[in-house]
Amino acid sequence: MNSEEVLSVTGKYDLSTKLLAGSILGLGVGSIGLITGLAIGDKSPFLGWLWGCSFWLSIAIGMLMLIMIFRIFNSRWTPVVRRQLEHCLASFPWLGLCFLPLLLIAWFGGDQSGILWSWINAQNETFDPIKQITVGEDVLYQKKSGYLNLYFFSLRMILYFGIFCGLSHWLRKVSFSQDLDGNPEWTRKGLKVSAIGIPAAALALTFGAFDLFMSLEYQWFSTMYGVWFFSSAIRASLAVTILICIYMSAEGRLKGLYKQAHQYDLGCLSLAFTVFWAYISFSQYFLIYSANIPEETFWYTIREIDPNTGNLSGWFWVSMGLIFGHFFFPFLFLLSYHRKVNRSQIVFIACWILAFHALDLYWNIIPGREIIPGAKVGYETRSVLGSHLFWGVFSFLGVGCLSVWAVIRSFQSKAAEIVPIRDPRILDSIHHHE
Amino acid sequence: MDIKYGLSATFNSAKDLYDAAGKIRSEGYTNWECYTPIPVHGLDAQMGVGRSKVPLFTLAGGITGFFTGMLIVWYMNSFDYPLIVGGKPYFSPIYPFPVFYELTILFAAFGTLFGMFFLNGLPRHNHPVFEHPNFGRTGDDRYLVVIEVEDPKFDDEETKSFLKELGGKSLTMIREPVMN
Repeated sequence: MNSEEVLSVTGKYDLSTKLLAGSILGLGVGSIGLITGLAIGDKSPFLGWLWGCSFWLSIAIGMLMLIMIFRIFNSRWTPVVRRQLEHCLASFPWLGLCFLPLLLIAWFGGDQSGILWSWINAQNETFDPIKQITVGEDVLYQKKSGYLNLYFFSLRMILYFGIFCGLSHWLRKVSFSQDLDGNPEWTRKGLKVSAIGIPAAALALTFGAFDLFMSLEYQWFSTMYGVWFFSSAIRASLAVTILICIYMSAEGRLKGLYKQAHQYDLGCLSLAFTVFWAYISFSQYFLIYSANIPEETFWYTIREIDPNTGNLSGWFWVSMGLIFGHFFFPFLFLLSYHRKVNRSQIVFIACWILAFHALDLYWNIIPGREIIPGAKVGYETRSVLGSHLFWGVFSFLGVGCLSVWAVIRSFQSKAAEIVPIRDPRILDSIHHHE
Repeated sequence: MDIKYGLSATFNSAKDLYDAAGKIRSEGYTNWECYTPIPVHGLDAQMGVGRSKVPLFTLAGGITGFFTGMLIVWYMNSFDYPLIVGGKPYFSPIYPFPVFYELTILFAAFGTLFGMFFLNGLPRHNHPVFEHPNFGRTGDDRYLVVIEVEDPKFDDEETKSFLKELGGKSLTMIREPVMN
């Protein structure tokens, strides 16, 4: 059975067509949400859209970082795995396209330009404990306006995606060209691209996390936020890497090439980044908890209690779910050697981590303060379930289908071999043992 | 006076030793060991040696450390001398968490180190196998297999002919000197 036959689903339409149809359906419904949201001034479809795009973007960013880290360390076991990641980078331009509507609305949305990121429209009402003010009158915005203004924001967005797409293009070119001529000079070029790319992509993902997620509540401060996004992205991308490698190994193309030793190493990395994610997430909480400054603590308060009643809200259970489901369970699960190398167990935990990664992003993006003049504290918190989830699921599936479609197109394109057969380290990688 | 420790046989290459190890294992011997000048990949699996038990000691150490940290903080700050620091509760799993995890790491490291010592029977200053006249060559160019007399299947004559059959050279009975 060759690769096209495997990738195509038996039936009238092949997998690519189905994925494209799925993405059009998902993004179409998501767009209807955006239009209705604009018409009635409802923020939920926009939050859903941001959540759906961010999940897939974070996986692609994690893979980009992993490839560059593999290259910069001259690691010998990775070429077999690296090629699969390089195909996945093909999704970046499409992901950029998915973020475009949010930027366009910021520019051309008129009164509604600040519907998602409230600071974009200085006339928007904002939260102040004492009096009713607009964003433009808020000192916390005024002090940050040198950074948080639409021109600089748009420039940064273009820069981020320029960096991501440019690096993906170069890393793919370097690796795929080596398949053709076997010139070891390509490996050296890959090293150079990675040496420049790691700081560039690290800055892009850090400030990207500030702009996309943190600026939803522009009053908030956290310098650890970029590192949180990095660790989440790496965790999610490792989970997807494991799934892809195991699928391709079971289906035949990587059979005998993807060994237990690779599986074990990817499992160890997953465990390491599970701990790293917990370390960063906890440290962020811990610093804010210890300092106890209202401009910072509100961010956690609205994820714990309903500020108007003081009772625990639904978000409290999501928070607990993250602590136990996104840290303790995968941590204890991945401690065992046997579970790291047992394929069905590692597939289970990879899917588990992806599900909780989606929940983690949801927890970071969705809760927020909605200004309601009659409320006791002046605002109400968005609930866990609501129209944002409804619209979010469609955007999530739409962007997902589009990304997977782009990745499968790259796999099928014959641009590259299944593994980088002329990479100087390919034999080390194929003979990798524990 | 001395007592028998085990029967040794040498092999000239890693491959010979590897093949012999597989046969010794399938013959049903359990108390035996290989001594090689270089690491031989896959020899552990060939000998039927399972994975190390050290991680269990690490885990036990880690769990002990975590709860020791909790106990310290609870006893000092909440039970023996309740004290409000920075408006935080007497005891909570949040503000002293660094204490918990630092002790988790410390005790896990202790568990690893001392667990390894315990499982290897360390520290010990001598080993009967050093009595072998040519043991030094296992650090150079010889591969040595020693089947201990402790092994339930051990029999002076049978084991000797078995090792000879496998291609083992210079069969030597290692004798451990005993002080009277």
